[in-house]
Amino acid sequence: MSSGPQATSAAATGTGGPSGARIAVAHAGPAGEWQMPAGDYANSRYSELSSITPQNAASLKVSWAFSTGVLRGHEGQPLVVDNTMYVVTPYPNVSYAIDLAQTGQPLKWKFRPVNSQQAIGRACCDVVNRGAAYADGKIFYNLLDGHTVAVNAATGAQVWRTKMGDLSRGETITMAPIVVKGKVIVGSSGGEMGVRGWIAALDAATGKEVWRAYNIGPDKDVKVGPKLKTFYAHDRGKDLGVTSWPGDTWKTGGGAVWGWISYDPALNLIYHGTSNPGPWNSNQRKGDNKWTAAILARDGDTGEMVWAFQVTPHDMWDYDAVNENILVDLPIKGQMRKALVHFDRNGFAYTMDRATGEVILAEPFVPMNWSTGIDLTTGRPNVVETKQTAQDKLVKDICPSLEGGKNQQPAAFSPQTGLFYVPTNNLCMDFTARAVTYIAGTPFIGGNAPEKGGPGGYRGEFIAWDATTGKKIWGIKEPYPVWGGALATAGGVVFYGTLDGWFKAVDARTGKVLWQFKVGSGVVGNPVTYTGPDGKQYVAIYAGIGGDMGLLIAGDVAANLPYDVRERGTTLPDIARWTSWGGELFVFSL
Amino acid sequence: MLFCGMCVAAGCQRGDGGRSDTSTAVVTAVSANFPDNSNAGHLLVAGDSLRLIEHEEILPVGFPSAIKPILIKNPYEGDKRATGVGAQLFVAYNCLDCHGAEGSGAMGPSFQDGRWHFGGSPGEVFESIYQGRPDGMPAWGGRISNDQIWMLTAYVRSLSSKDLSTENFTGKTVERTGH
Repeated sequence: MSSGPQATSAAATGTGGPSGARIAVAHAGPAGEWQMPAGDYANSRYSELSSITPQNAASLKVSWAFSTGVLRGHEGQPLVVDNTMYVVTPYPNVSYAIDLAQTGQPLKWKFRPVNSQQAIGRACCDVVNRGAAYADGKIFYNLLDGHTVAVNAATGAQVWRTKMGDLSRGETITMAPIVVKGKVIVGSSGGEMGVRGWIAALDAATGKEVWRAYNIGPDKDVKVGPKLKTFYAHDRGKDLGVTSWPGDTWKTGGGAVWGWISYDPALNLIYHGTSNPGPWNSNQRKGDNKWTAAILARDGDTGEMVWAFQVTPHDMWDYDAVNENILVDLPIKGQMRKALVHFDRNGFAYTMDRATGEVILAEPFVPMNWSTGIDLTTGRPNVVETKQTAQDKLVKDICPSLEGGKNQQPAAFSPQTGLFYVPTNNLCMDFTARAVTYIAGTPFIGGNAPEKGGPGGYRGEFIAWDATTGKKIWGIKEPYPVWGGALATAGGVVFYGTLDGWFKAVDARTGKVLWQFKVGSGVVGNPVTYTGPDGKQYVAIYAGIGGDMGLLIAGDVAANLPYDVRERGTTLPDIARWTSWGGELFVFSL
Repeated sequence: MLFCGMCVAAGCQRGDGGRSDTSTAVVTAVSANFPDNSNAGHLLVAGDSLRLIEHEEILPVGFPSAIKPILIKNPYEGDKRATGVGAQLFVAYNCLDCHGAEGSGAMGPSFQDGRWHFGGSPGEVFESIYQGRPDGMPAWGGRISNDQIWMLTAYVRSLSSKDLSTENFTGKTVERTGH
C-alpha cells in the first residue's frame, strides 16, 4: 500500500494542501521497527505502516499492557528492534527489553543503572526521560544524574557509562540521544539552574567524548569558526556568546539542550534548539544573550556551528527554543525547498531553509499577544511593549504562557497529506520578575508566573498545520494542554494522547476522532507503531502523567492549592478528578 | 552510646560559623534586618538523635530508654519577626523556586499539604535544612548560620495546613470542549 518515505502527496480535505512534500530522511531500519526516538533523523514521527485506517480504527483494542514500576512523568517513547521492545523509565531510569515474539511478552532483561538520587531535586520539571536510541546492537540513553550509558541490546549488560553533566551545578539529562555516524549526540538540561548549556558527541563504541560545544561563551567554546554563515547580518561578529551578555553573566546563562535532535545526512548537519536564558529576570542579562532560545545547525562530524538563528533574542518569557526541528522538503511558492519546520514555545511556527537558516515564513499557531509578527528581513519578532517583563513589575495576561504554544510534546508530519500534526497548549500567564542570586545547585530563576487558560475556554488543541502557507487546517480542542506527542501513519490515521488520559486515533485529513480509549494515567508520552511477529500493526503509548505540566500530580502535591508558580487550581482545573499518577505501557491493535 | 551512632543532628560536627560564601550580598542585606547574635543555634549537642528522641515509638520494645530526653525547641517558634526574616531568607537562598511560592510545591515538595517526607517537627525540619536530604535538598549547615536555619524552620512550618485526607470531587465540573 505504501511506497515508503517518498509517499505520494495528497491534498488535505478542502484545503488544496501542499503537494510533493516529502520527508528528507527515510525511516531508520525496517518500516515495522522504531529504532530512533522520532522514528527517523528527520523527526517526522511518520510510519509507512498502513493496516490501521480511518475505516477500521474504531475496532482498535488493547493487546497487552506493562507496568514500568515508576510513578512519574512518562515522556518519551519505547523503541522496537528485532521483535524486542525497549522501554526506559523516568528516574531511576530503569530499562526493560520486552520479548514481543513470545506470548505474554516476557522480559529478556532489566537494567538498573547507578544513578544518583540527588538528581531528583535538581531536575526542574519532573524526573522525566525522553527515550533511548538504538544503533549497532546497543541501546543508548541518558541518566537524570548526568551520565550517558550504552547497554548491550541482546544481554542488558552495560557497555559503558560516561559522566557528561555536573549535578552539583544543576546539570541533569532528560533528552533522548541520537546516533550519527558512530557518535552518540547528547545535551544537558538545567536552564532553570544557571547551567552553561552544551551539546556533545560520544564515541558509540567506547563512550569517549569526541567533541563538546557550548552554546554560550567565546567562539572557541561555541565551535564558531570559518564554517559559520549566519543568514542575518545582526547574527555576525566575534565572540557573540560573550559580547551579547553583561559581564560574566554568560557563565550562568542557560542555553541548555534538553529537546529533540535531528540530522540531515545529505547536508551533514545536526540541528538542535537551546533553552531559555537564565535567569528569567531579563534585567540581570541585558543584550541578545546568544545563543540561548536559538536553533543551531552544527557539522555532523565536528560539532562546528554552520548556521545559527536566535528564535527569541533576549527572551523574557521563558520561551525555550528546544522543540523539535522537522526536516522535510516542501513546495513553497512553486519551488521545492529544503525546509526545517519548528513550532516554538513563543507561539510562532517557523518554516525555514535548513541549508541556510533563512526564515521563509513564521505564523502564530496558537493564540498569542506578546508579538505582532516576525520581521522576515531580520527574522526577529516585533515585541509588544506592554508585554515585556521586567524586575518587580507585574505584567498580566501574556500569551502563550511560559509553557509555550507547544512544549516538548513532538509534532508529526505525513508526506501523504503534507500536513504537520501538532499538540499545542493554550495558556496565558501573569509574570513578575525578581532579583535572584546564583547559588550553585539551586534554581536560578528569579520570577513567578502563575498560569491560566487562554482565550476560548480550552487549554490545549491538537491541530493540523500547513507549513507551506502557515495556516491551521483543522483542530481538536482539549480541556487540558496536549502534553503528549503525535504519530502519523500511512494508513491515514494520526494518534495522540491527552493529559486527562484519553488515547485517540484521528483521521489525518479531516481531524475526525475515529476511536478513543481511557488509559490508566494522563498521557505525556509519544505514540509509536510497529509490526509484531504476527505481522499485525501495533500502536504503543506510555500512560504516566507528569513532566512540567503534570508535575503537581506526579509529585503528589495536594489538589487545587491556591498558590503555586504553576498552580493546578487555575492551570489544570479539576485534573485530579480525571486521572492519577501512573507508569504503564499500553499496546493496541485491530 | 547506641544513640551516638545515629548522630544526625544539627551542630554535631560543625560550629555556628554563619559563613556564606555564596550570594553574600543578598544574604547580608537580609541578615541586617535581624542581627545574628543569638546563641539559639547551640541548643543541640553532639550525640543527639532527633529521630529517636522525637519518635519513641520507633524504639524496639524493651529498648533501654533511660536517656535524658532533650526537648528540641525552635527558639523562634511563634516569633512573627523571625518568621518574617525566614520568609526573606526563603527567597534569598532560592528555596522559593524549588518549593514553590509560599511553599506550595514545585521541583521540591510542598510545605502546605501537611505531609512531611522527613518529619515536620521543628527539629526534623531543622535537620532537613542543615544536612540536606538524599532527594536533592542541598545541605545548608555550615553555609548559613544555625540562627538562619531556625528562622527558615519557623517560616516553613508556618505555611503548613492540615493534611487533606479526603478530596471529594463530586458536584464539580470542568468546562470540557471539543469532543
